[in-house]
Amino acid sequence: MSAIAIPHAPAAPPRRGLTTWQTWGAIMIAPYVLVFLAFVLYPVSYGLWLARHPESYVKLFADPIFFRTVVNTVLFLAIAVNLKFLLALWLSGFFVHERTWIRWVSVLFLLPWAVPSIPTIFSIRFMFNPEWGVINSVIFRLTALDGPNWLNDPRIGLGLSMLTHIWKSLPFWTLILMAGRLAIPREQYEAAAVDGASAWQRFKYVTWPSLRTLYLTSTILSMIWSLGDFNSVYLLTGGGPADLTHVLATLGIRYIRLDQVDLAMATIVCAMPLVLPLVYYMMKHLSK
Amino acid sequence: MASVVFDSIYKSFGSTKVLHGISLDISDGEFMVLVGPSGCGKSTLLRMLAGLEDITGGTIAIDQRVVNDLDSKDRDIAMVFQSYALYPHMTVRENMGFSLKLRKESVRRIAEGVDRAAKILNLEPYLERYPRELSGGQRQRVAMGRAIVRDPKVFLFDEPLSNLDAKLRVAMRSEIKALHQRLKTTTVYVTHDQVEAMTMADRIAVMNEGRIEQLGEPLELYDRPANLFVAQFIGSPAMNVFEGTFRSNSVEALGARWPSTARAAEGQSVRYGIRPEHLSLGGEGIPGEIEVVEPMGAETEILVKVAAQTFTVMTHGRASFAPGDKVRLAPQAGHAHLFDASSGRRI
Amino acid sequence: MKKRFTKEAVLVLLAIPILLWTLLPIYHIFLFSISSKDSAFSGALWPDKPTLRNFGTIFRQEQFYLHHFWAQIWNSLWIAVAAGAITLAVAACAAFSISRLKVKGGRAVMNLALFTYFIPAAFLAIPMYKAMGMYGLLNNRWSLVLAMVTLAAPYAIWVLKQASDKLPVELDEAAKIDGATPLQLFRLVYLPLMTPSLIAIGTYALLLAWNEYLYAYLLLSHEQTIPLAVALGHFIAADDSPWELLMATGLVYALPPAAIYYAFRRYMVSGLTTGAVKA
Repeated sequence: MSAIAIPHAPAAPPRRGLTTWQTWGAIMIAPYVLVFLAFVLYPVSYGLWLARHPESYVKLFADPIFFRTVVNTVLFLAIAVNLKFLLALWLSGFFVHERTWIRWVSVLFLLPWAVPSIPTIFSIRFMFNPEWGVINSVIFRLTALDGPNWLNDPRIGLGLSMLTHIWKSLPFWTLILMAGRLAIPREQYEAAAVDGASAWQRFKYVTWPSLRTLYLTSTILSMIWSLGDFNSVYLLTGGGPADLTHVLATLGIRYIRLDQVDLAMATIVCAMPLVLPLVYYMMKHLSK
Repeated sequence: MASVVFDSIYKSFGSTKVLHGISLDISDGEFMVLVGPSGCGKSTLLRMLAGLEDITGGTIAIDQRVVNDLDSKDRDIAMVFQSYALYPHMTVRENMGFSLKLRKESVRRIAEGVDRAAKILNLEPYLERYPRELSGGQRQRVAMGRAIVRDPKVFLFDEPLSNLDAKLRVAMRSEIKALHQRLKTTTVYVTHDQVEAMTMADRIAVMNEGRIEQLGEPLELYDRPANLFVAQFIGSPAMNVFEGTFRSNSVEALGARWPSTARAAEGQSVRYGIRPEHLSLGGEGIPGEIEVVEPMGAETEILVKVAAQTFTVMTHGRASFAPGDKVRLAPQAGHAHLFDASSGRRI
Repeated sequence: MKKRFTKEAVLVLLAIPILLWTLLPIYHIFLFSISSKDSAFSGALWPDKPTLRNFGTIFRQEQFYLHHFWAQIWNSLWIAVAAGAITLAVAACAAFSISRLKVKGGRAVMNLALFTYFIPAAFLAIPMYKAMGMYGLLNNRWSLVLAMVTLAAPYAIWVLKQASDKLPVELDEAAKIDGATPLQLFRLVYLPLMTPSLIAIGTYALLLAWNEYLYAYLLLSHEQTIPLAVALGHFIAADDSPWELLMATGLVYALPPAAIYYAFRRYMVSGLTTGAVKA
């Protein structure tokens, strides 16, 4: 009946056109693609187009608060984000200890991230009110001295914004670094303990090498996101006093409220030299 | 019930050719086993029959109908996967009835179909359980039950026993064979285990590197392998093979003359093959030395060294040899196989 | 033994400042909520006469800034649920298409989507505001819903894709042979197996939309379309506003996310952390 065939030219032609499965693939990805086109691609392109006039930038640089804003933003990124991550690194080590009560602490610890910014940041703002805030009241009760006018000093104001930012976003990153720590196989720690490593050496030779990439990419990503942290500054100081605590995020919105769209877009474009190197680093790393 | 015909099947993944013109006729009700080492293309061929892979060239026909352009669901086939592929979020009953539910059959019909299959496979106590609560063998039976419920024209098995332990494998082999005898559905079964092939098949297709090396009944493949590959693939322990030259009516090799009733050309370079059970150790024959004795209870496997070659000898019952003993190896001339040394084909 | 005790003591000592730092602003909200106006502004750490009167004022919409409280909290709810549901729908379909149907260009779409997160949200808000204006959606609740979907969907698709990549291909093949169409595969096999991830994503998108301030502030301005977040922002405009009412409203506003977070924390945490290990 049959035998080992003598090879000859193939008979059936390949199937042409889309099969049902491929059609459905296209249909089901379409909603997201539409969302992206309408609400990311178009707005971004339009925004860049709006920012094309050189005059906007001349006007922008002439505005006295612009330079201060840039400095504030750079300080914010350099200090707040790195401080936050050092804390996250340290606290992630705390939270990986397996105790029931620590797990309860971690549930509470994530609250700042889960609850909305408005009430919490206003709460911090009121705490630091120079006349009736709890902070100054406690200082007065303890020392009979008037506490400083916290939010009216631009440097302290910026510092408190950074603290607010840390308060809000620290839990999220602590969680991420915690996951990174938990991914390290226990045997590596056991081997190190057998070899007689101290706690610091265990960190240096076991924890840090595994955690390093996650730490760096998280820091970079967080810097990109912190550039967009509007709430921590706006809700705390409003950019004041006298527009001295603005960061680029709040500055852009300020121009929008003054109906100066061109300046708003120019502000964003000026932030690009900060954003793009970070994005470049992220993409290079993620494509590995 | 249906015949399955593969006609000049070619398959390429990108620029890599994996099947080179396979033609195979499987008759209605036959249990055909595709066997071969990893990468020989047997699973690919099966998946093309199932409609899970595109056909680069050639046609496949089920029940005399070409199915190249048909979706899997329209081919009236059922498949049992190596990893069972049971739906984890459904009970055994729901798993088995899924295909009927998709066809929007009535609840009563679904229950009838599932109960019938469950009875055949002794799955009744497990119908309300979830796959994660079952052992490997039970899961495999559920996978088969799912296939039976569909009442297909062809059963496809893709290495279904590979994930089971040895003892369970032996038990499931007989179950599958008994099932086939009961249902008489055409079955195409893929495995890399030649024991499964030998015990279960009506016919075996031995595949290697995208081609069929030999097609035939199990014993035919065992007694008359068409080439070296089949000779060494079928049979466990493997056939003893070594190179020599044919002179007069025996083969000169390893410093001795090996008798053979098969004939080759005078002076031809050949490979001599002899199965372990066709060698005996006694007073006459080719001198050798015992290396290892492995008593297995009913039989004894003995490794004997002749010159540089180690021979596997299988004897019934117990043997009173010890490593280091000097013995004489006697091959049964009528069971010697001669293969051309360069092409590997049987002479 | 002593070493164990010291270690526990150290851990407890560390936990105290952590908890203080974490809970102080939240406690402060609670403090103001149950204080009368005088007590709140006296800087006390616990009110002399804790009262629930503030909540009464809020629920009866008795104060200028609270006239539309119920409409506004309803807006917050509506927007949050809509954003959660639509994100789920869009992301589940897209992830199914990319991961199981292996649509051509799926990976490119995935990478483009994640690119959304390389634009700081406050920067995207401005062009988004202009674009919504051009679409005629300003002051329409849908503008905020769609903006939230845009921000939540990439992460959602990514998480769902990771989870669904773990499902063996044989399940799809078995279903195909059993006779499933793509939609049947999606509905009867894929969605049930994705349930934990779906819950995580839905919760995440819902919380994101409920908590959002900036986009809500830019896109919605009418007293009756704004969500509660924007209304709270208005409070701060006047100098002598009743801050204790603001905090009490803020507490009401913060309770649902806190409760949802608490109820679904396991799903959400696992959703976040699988991402971390992949990265």
